Amino acid sequence: MASIRLENIVKRYGAFTGVQNMSLDIADEEFLVLLGPSGCGKTTTMRMIAGLEMPTEGNIIIGGEVVNDIDARDRDVAMVFQGYALYPNMTVYENIRFPLRMRRVPASDQDRMVRTAADMVELGAFLDRKPGALSGGQRQRAALARAVVRQPQVFLMDEPLSNLDAKLRQSMRVQIKHMQRQLRITTVYVTHDQIEAMTLADRIVIMNKGAIQQVGTPDQIYTDPANTFVAGFIGGPPMNLIEGTATGGRFTAPGVNAPCPANLSGRITLGIRPEDCTVGGGQVQGLVYGVEPTGDVTYLSVLAGTKQVEVKAARDFRSDIDVPITIGFDPARLYFFGADGQRIRGGA
Amino acid sequence: MARMRKSRGESLLLRYLVLGSWALVCLLPILWFGTIALRPRTEIVTPQPIYWPTWSLDAWHLLMSDWPIALYLRNSVLAVGGSVIIDLILAIPAAYALARYDFKGREDIGFYILSTRMMAPAIVAVPIFFLFKSVGLLDSIWALMLIYAAINLSLVTWIIRSYMLDIPKELEDAARTDGAGDLRILWEIIIPACLPGIITAAVIAAIFAINEFLFTLLIASTSGAYTMSVALANFTGGSDGVIYNAIALVSFIAFVPVLILVILIQKHLSRGLTMGAVKG
Repeated sequence: MASIRLENIVKRYGAFTGVQNMSLDIADEEFLVLLGPSGCGKTTTMRMIAGLEMPTEGNIIIGGEVVNDIDARDRDVAMVFQGYALYPNMTVYENIRFPLRMRRVPASDQDRMVRTAADMVELGAFLDRKPGALSGGQRQRAALARAVVRQPQVFLMDEPLSNLDAKLRQSMRVQIKHMQRQLRITTVYVTHDQIEAMTLADRIVIMNKGAIQQVGTPDQIYTDPANTFVAGFIGGPPMNLIEGTATGGRFTAPGVNAPCPANLSGRITLGIRPEDCTVGGGQVQGLVYGVEPTGDVTYLSVLAGTKQVEVKAARDFRSDIDVPITIGFDPARLYFFGADGQRIRGGA
Repeated sequence: MARMRKSRGESLLLRYLVLGSWALVCLLPILWFGTIALRPRTEIVTPQPIYWPTWSLDAWHLLMSDWPIALYLRNSVLAVGGSVIIDLILAIPAAYALARYDFKGREDIGFYILSTRMMAPAIVAVPIFFLFKSVGLLDSIWALMLIYAAINLSLVTWIIRSYMLDIPKELEDAARTDGAGDLRILWEIIIPACLPGIITAAVIAAIFAINEFLFTLLIASTSGAYTMSVALANFTGGSDGVIYNAIALVSFIAFVPVLILVILIQKHLSRGLTMGAVKG
């Protein structure tokens, strides 16, 4: 068990900066998710914690010890990879036992530990199989068992669910979270899937272009986004971001007219989540662009000017396209962002 | 109906017919060798074709009485086997370094290794003769081992390297975080994962080595180091003329161990060859 601290980490590849001046404290037993689009530096950050990459500048501290110069094999860190990375020539049993053998765990303990780990992921019946004879979900569970078997100080997971189908992903997600709570091991989890981040994390770190955009609990990130990037990244569908002009306490954009704080003026961006919009009301006048019933809720796209506004409508809402429609905003749930994309605090 | 669908049986028959004919074409040289080996000398050189040959074991008796063919076979097997082992011991770590480590001049070194294969062997034949003479290795199967190994080393290195490039880097990262060092990763992860490639490279090297003639002729001067390929040449000269049936029989004897080897590892070999082909 250990806390992790990143101090002013920089990672450069030639002229390209992969991670810029990143500082982060990860508490003991915390489940931290690094979230961002591909190429944002989240995997690089994780690989530096694992010891598979060296930071160009800064310190990585695990359990109070600077580990910059400690090789990956000697950091007590276990990693689960996107492509599972099971050793194809070994059976599931041998795969799970591999880290124990490498760390010279007494042979008498190995068998018991392997079986405990396999049972934890419900793979007890598949120990004699080679990875090639397992399904995708079973492979991922075998990879998890290999990571938990030696009870490392830190767990690193690099998009472990991205190769699984949607249904399996949901059940594996629950299993991973359960396991992490059960073992109480500090976990860093990398994903580009905001649902995974929201459901798994104690805290989320949102990254873009090698820099941290915001750190917070899922609730904070959702209800209090720091900038347009975070606002547009979280939520499904994400927050509507409408660029327009503020003058005299009104925000206007083509087809949109909404209240805003009187002190705002000039080019700003208005943000409103789809669930805070209602059909009827006077803020948006547009045409129905599309209607997507999903069963428990219907998503409605409205074209206002050239901008599509997403609305979470009642489950029985139906409409033809190109029908004129008005949309209302919950005035208490409006967000405003400056021209630089940063949030303007103070509310409407 | 104008068009009838062919029955399943018919199409299967056709398939077997086509494949069977093609197999016959491929096997014809071997069958032909077989019949030559089992016929008397006089019958082989007649200008008229003989459809119903007389079978005889003349060539076999000649080999057994006059030629130490078992010794030649032993020399071949030892020299070829030894050379392949040397190749693998040197090529696997080299291929791993070329495939994975990032060091200055990596591409140049890789190309240099390959370029040794581009040289015409005759250019170095004489220097090699004097080199081995000066270290007292003439007429020794140790010398043959070294030469075969040297000839094939570049090829073996490159084949194995291309397989190692195909192994996901994640596997090594996983092994490293699991606590394995470089040698352990090579031995327990990389080598098993590219075993088809290693086997392919070894078989190709063995085939090249068993057919090697020039250097073997140069180095081997007595039956102490004669191999099958040089022994073959001894049936073509001298007062007895060209002894075709003995040549055919010796070729057959040289061919059988390779055939057995290929059959044993066929599964790996076909996988290996196609993988290499797709990768290019």
